[in-house]
Amino acid sequence: MKNASRGSSLTRRKLLQASAATAALTAFPAPLIAQTKPFAGVTLHGASFQHRFFTLLQKYIPEFEERTGMKVDLQLSAFPVYNQQANLELSSGGSAYDFVNVTFILAARWVAAGLLANLDEFTGDANLTPAEWNPKDFVEGAQVPYRDAKGATYGYSWEGGAMLMGLSRMDLMEKKGLKIPKTFAELQQVCAEINGTDGVSGITSFQLHHWNLPPYIQGFGGNIFRKPPSDIMPALNTPETIQGIEFYANLLKSAPKGVLTYTEDQARQSVLTGRANIFIHSSAWVTPILLSEESKVKETARVVRMPAGPVHDHPASNSQGLGIPKNAKNKKAAWEFIKWALSPDISMRLVKEHGHSSVCRRSIITSEAYRKLNTVNGQDLGALYLEVLELPAKGENYMAYRTVKEFPIVGDVLNKAFEQVATGQLPAKDAMNAAQDQAIAALRRAGTQL
Amino acid sequence: MSESGIDAERRSFIACALTPSLIVLFAVAVLPAIYLVVTSLTPFQLTAPGSATDFSVPLRNYGLLPGDPRFVNSLWVQAKLSCWGVLFQVLLGMLLALLLNVQSRFVEFARTFFLIPMVLPPIVVAVIWKLIYTPDISPLYYAAQLLNFTMPALTSSVDFALTAIIIADTWEWLPFTFLMVLAALQTIPDEYSEAALVDGASKLQIFWYVTLPFITPILVISGMFRLIDSVKAFPLIFLLTSGGPGTVTEVTNYYAYLLAFDTNEIGYSSAVTVVMLLLVAGISLALVWMGRRREAMA
Repeated sequence: MKNASRGSSLTRRKLLQASAATAALTAFPAPLIAQTKPFAGVTLHGASFQHRFFTLLQKYIPEFEERTGMKVDLQLSAFPVYNQQANLELSSGGSAYDFVNVTFILAARWVAAGLLANLDEFTGDANLTPAEWNPKDFVEGAQVPYRDAKGATYGYSWEGGAMLMGLSRMDLMEKKGLKIPKTFAELQQVCAEINGTDGVSGITSFQLHHWNLPPYIQGFGGNIFRKPPSDIMPALNTPETIQGIEFYANLLKSAPKGVLTYTEDQARQSVLTGRANIFIHSSAWVTPILLSEESKVKETARVVRMPAGPVHDHPASNSQGLGIPKNAKNKKAAWEFIKWALSPDISMRLVKEHGHSSVCRRSIITSEAYRKLNTVNGQDLGALYLEVLELPAKGENYMAYRTVKEFPIVGDVLNKAFEQVATGQLPAKDAMNAAQDQAIAALRRAGTQL
Repeated sequence: MSESGIDAERRSFIACALTPSLIVLFAVAVLPAIYLVVTSLTPFQLTAPGSATDFSVPLRNYGLLPGDPRFVNSLWVQAKLSCWGVLFQVLLGMLLALLLNVQSRFVEFARTFFLIPMVLPPIVVAVIWKLIYTPDISPLYYAAQLLNFTMPALTSSVDFALTAIIIADTWEWLPFTFLMVLAALQTIPDEYSEAALVDGASKLQIFWYVTLPFITPILVISGMFRLIDSVKAFPLIFLLTSGGPGTVTEVTNYYAYLLAFDTNEIGYSSAVTVVMLLLVAGISLALVWMGRRREAMA
């Protein structure tokens, strides 16, 4: 009886509570929903090139959709296809995308042309960005491409690339009494001595010469432009540039046959299988010799800083960022997405759950968990990565050549000229003099004032 | 109904029947071509807003073309690729057709087999040849190694890169000329060669005086078709050499692609494309003229 009476009293209370809740919902339905899911009904359109980061992120996106109420439509295309589509879309003032990948090589162009929204307006508003998101946590070197001349930020980096040197056959080097090369001269010597030993090539590379070459050109004191970004007169025929070209062409004499047409995958495969000893490229392509299950050279591999030139030590670095097109329809929702995708929490989960180490938040790279996961055979890969990624922000931004909108034109001319030198079609001096004339003519044709 | 009334009705019916097709053709072929020509008269740069409608110096791009060494070189490379490619395709296609112009089940199977390269998507053909030309994984290089023969890397060699493209292009399109010539061979009445045999002609003489005159028009027509089509060797060049080493295999359409999509010079790239379009149109008109002349002479 007692129990029955208590049960009856509870039922009445529940009934009253339910009635009150129903009345409240009927009276104020929208504000209540809006408080829980602020972007309910919004479909966010974003685009990028295909990358492991986004493949992994897609696994977490349902959590974001659940929390915010918005739906994320993320289009991923092949790198060149995405760049063409996004360039066309943004240049023509389109509003099809709410957020986009700001590709490193297009960053300066898009920022200078005013095609992206100023993200300082979002980070500067405490209602839109909590203090713990901390925009200053992003490695400064990785953020340089997304800033305009006044220092305003138009993108936040999700991926960093730092040029490192991978050596797959330390066993062979030790047998020959060779040490890890620290200078260009030592690099040349090691490559030449290892080449052909046990069928191993001294070095491997791939066909994107205008990425691989500049560290050598700059190492000898040259550059692609006279003083980018302010003075973009090509500097392809200076003695220092010619020296860099000749050096790299000589270096590739120790590379596998057909290296000039190698893709990145082919180059990586040649070091993972131990068919080539040295590979100098972004960390994401080099560290698999230690980390990948495919690697047959884990025990004999080392990853170190690339050798320094006689004048400069300028290993290449780059980053990819997320930004919001100036004419995007859902800017606040897009910022909510960027804020979430690049939050310390998601960055750490990517590192811990998927071993994705090329994040750009300093607090994550220097964390104990990151260090633990990225220290292999006593080699702290995170420290190396951070060291190189930071370099362009220290003193001269030597990567500025790559972010000026004129670079693709000059880069294409440089690619062709280098191949002429490497295949012996022309001596370096003649090829680079012709390249300089062609680059100037092409820039003028494109309307550049030199 | 009077005769002129019937004619008018017929003309009206023909016009009505053709109009939808002409509208579609105009939309998919003529409009883009007009846009291409209009764009070629501007300095359109994706990075320069407003340049798409700048007609201040309309013939500037065309004026720059003769002084652009890469454009001139690309025309020369295209000419070499087209001439050698078409020559090999016609000659080898003809030889193959002569060999397989017999009645046998095995030969019928072989004919079908030989058609495979032509029906493969171009990018698949490019991948096949990429595998063949890549020294580390190619069976060709493996065999050469077994024979103690050192082969250069074909696609990155100045001397062999264009030849490598010609070989792949010939492999892909040889079945076209083979098929055309085989069809022509099967229309030659046996009586002619039998009569020649009775007169004591050798096989070579029969080929030279009987077969060849019959198939010559087909050889010319298929050669012209292939010449027009040869400017579309883009996937092979894109995947195998990227136009290199240097500009050794950089044909005009690949150069136009680089200008438009690598360096964003849409206006200049359009001018290059218009010139290419005019050259192909010229060859096509020659083909039509030859066809009509042949009909008139028949």
